[in-house]
Amino acid sequence: METMGFLGPARGGRRDQARAAPVPSDRDVAGLTLKTAEAMQMETMGFLNPDRLNALVLFLFFCTLVLVFISLARRGGRLYIRKIAGLNAIDEAVGRATELGKKVLYPPGIMSLDENQTIASLAVLGHVARMTARYNTELDVPNKDPLTFAAARETVKEAYMAEGRPDLYNDRLVHYVTYDQFAYTASVTGIMVREKPAANFLIGSFYAESLLLAEMGQSTGAIQIAGTAEIAQLPFFVCSCDYTLIGEELYAAGAYLSREPAQLGSIKGQDITKAAVGVYIITATILLLLGSGFLRRLLTIE
Amino acid sequence: MRFLRLQLPLLLTALAGLIPISAFFISENATRVVWMKDRLEKYMIIIASFAILLGVVNVVQSNIRKIERRQKGWPYGAFLLAGLLGMAFCGIMGAARIGPFQGIGYTPDGGRTPFQYGAEFMFSPLQATMFSLLAFFMASAAFRAFRARNVEATILLVAAGLVMLGRIPFGEMILGGHPFLARLTDWMMDWPNAAAQRGIMIGAALGAASLSLRVIVGIERSFLGVEKSE
Amino acid sequence: MEWLNRLMALDRRWIFLLVAIGTALPIIFPIGFKVSVTPPAKALFDRIEQMGPDDVVLLSFDYGPSTAPENDPMADAVLRHCFSKRVKVVLLSLFPIGGVTMADQSLARVLRDFPDIRRGIDYAHLGYKSGSQATMKQMGEDIHRVFPTDRYGMALSEVPLLQRVRTYDDMKLVVSFATGIIGEWWANLINAQFHIPVAVGCTAVSAPKYYAYLQSGQMVGLLGGLKGASEYERLVIDRYPIVEAAYTRAGLYTAIKGMDAQTIIHTLILLFIIMANVAFFAGRGRAAQAKR
Repeated sequence: METMGFLGPARGGRRDQARAAPVPSDRDVAGLTLKTAEAMQMETMGFLNPDRLNALVLFLFFCTLVLVFISLARRGGRLYIRKIAGLNAIDEAVGRATELGKKVLYPPGIMSLDENQTIASLAVLGHVARMTARYNTELDVPNKDPLTFAAARETVKEAYMAEGRPDLYNDRLVHYVTYDQFAYTASVTGIMVREKPAANFLIGSFYAESLLLAEMGQSTGAIQIAGTAEIAQLPFFVCSCDYTLIGEELYAAGAYLSREPAQLGSIKGQDITKAAVGVYIITATILLLLGSGFLRRLLTIE
Repeated sequence: MRFLRLQLPLLLTALAGLIPISAFFISENATRVVWMKDRLEKYMIIIASFAILLGVVNVVQSNIRKIERRQKGWPYGAFLLAGLLGMAFCGIMGAARIGPFQGIGYTPDGGRTPFQYGAEFMFSPLQATMFSLLAFFMASAAFRAFRARNVEATILLVAAGLVMLGRIPFGEMILGGHPFLARLTDWMMDWPNAAAQRGIMIGAALGAASLSLRVIVGIERSFLGVEKSE
Repeated sequence: MEWLNRLMALDRRWIFLLVAIGTALPIIFPIGFKVSVTPPAKALFDRIEQMGPDDVVLLSFDYGPSTAPENDPMADAVLRHCFSKRVKVVLLSLFPIGGVTMADQSLARVLRDFPDIRRGIDYAHLGYKSGSQATMKQMGEDIHRVFPTDRYGMALSEVPLLQRVRTYDDMKLVVSFATGIIGEWWANLINAQFHIPVAVGCTAVSAPKYYAYLQSGQMVGLLGGLKGASEYERLVIDRYPIVEAAYTRAGLYTAIKGMDAQTIIHTLILLFIIMANVAFFAGRGRAAQAKR
């Protein structure tokens, strides 16, 4: 087998080639060495995986777009972002809780910090916490995941410090409940029924408990703003909540609320990429109908 | 202090983000990168496991405080602590195989260890009960939300009605055994539903990628709890 | 039209009561509605039907007690199918809370009907491993490194079946019984990276999102909720009448029995929706009349 260059062997896939031409293995029974056709081929591959070159190009295209728009935004370029009703309603929700003298309940999802939705939720939590600090409204953040709990605590503490109200902050605002999904749900629904918060923010990654939380909150008369990228749970939030952030609206929330140029720039870059993907899909479909699968094969990732 | 609070976490975040991304595009010949990626994945598992201790400590502290001060609902706190300590005791003793606590699963003769007994006869039924509440809430949500207020609500209503009928034998019975509703349901799931799901998936995936990029380059810092101006 | 106002403002507890009765009665007094089979379930059935005694299927129990009423029947049905065909089975669990218990219980239920199935030869049980995606990817390199011992403490090198099963290349199919995201990871990560056919048995709530993967070929079959489970049970019973005795055993919960309750509940919910819309439109009509 010839030694390959930087990009490795031509298309066909290392795995496919190994399967297509099996070489009798040379197994050392007493020792630990094992040499198969696959291992021999791997030895001669280059630095980059050639089966993922197309994905690399797409990845670099996306990153370049995002970074270009971030740079443009930082230089003072005006970037338009459409209104998102759920995010505009945050002020209204916190205001309602303040008037009624009741608390704001904010479960930040059930997944850990390795989940993007949780990070997006923490961005919104920071904004909500600043408002509750400003208006002296009680905030309750029950957590299911310990890492999210630690991050949420820091976020809320920082928000209260930034508003100049460290006196209003205490560790009981952000508390850990349990790691079990439904025990957590039982606890949060118990808070809703006993303490009747005026505003519920169900923002983050939720699974089967989404309907339980949303319906229970609805039954207590709270204003509810939900947001998740879990597609299966969106219908439940849409039916039971006043406002729902769908998919990427949740990821855009941090940028939308902060209005930071760098963050708005990344939203723009993401939108341009989405438009490009849409054009690509339509073009590839038309070509496929005309009998050419070239564009489809171009982005097939091994 | 600023280095420990801001710069070091951002550096670690960038590395932890870039290594798995690089490993995806680099061939397995670049063994160092692949090794780092494998290590990172193992470290993630270990950190997540230890982080549970953090949560347990907080639960114990807050409930002890509640019981001491006889705050509203303190008996529930006592009940929670009893459950937590009881199962932890059975689990630790079972793992160490001390006395009658021989493991945390089934015993070799098919009997149950105390931990397995608690898990099977207390924890599992409670979980199933909470999940079964969904049936009731689904019905009340459907009664309240599925009203033909406008065009979109009507489409939602009709689609939901067709899928619900298509998923049960009754849908065939009312059409004299013809599987039209079941086929229509399958068509709706295969085409309009799949198209909508894909659209939302693509948008959400790009949103997540954009957020990930912001986190890796240090623009998004909400998870660190630092002010953006720092 | 006082009844209209009462209907619009109906206390949800009446709805809960009717749902409770509608669920309990068909379980106590089974009706026996006929179950029809749809293509996604048939596709999985046909895939396993084509296998033989030398083929290995990986069954991943990625659910907990909360979704057992939906996932248990589908897991039992697939396990019965595999044992009826003498297809070799490797079980594992990636769900942290209760997953391995679900696997143990499913195995115990099914093995009662297959006394000649031998542990270590016809099936192997790897137990639970944390790490989800990382574990799934590492299994593609060497299962023996990920699971040093099986569920019963035996070294994998001493389990006859696992001596010839080291990676996904040595298996014909992965079936994940899932709640939540783990099923998606099998479909879009493991199938993409390791090219092993994947099927998922999921809760009804998650089923809509899996149709996209089924359509694109990333999955070869789908059992969506209790309906999917009942379809698979029907297929197994029709093809292997010998297992019918197991399914008619008193006290055993099956998806076909559960479909009676699901049918009644769906019908009830549809009636609620119709009532609510009748009241809504009647109320609107009354308001329009009053305006005139």
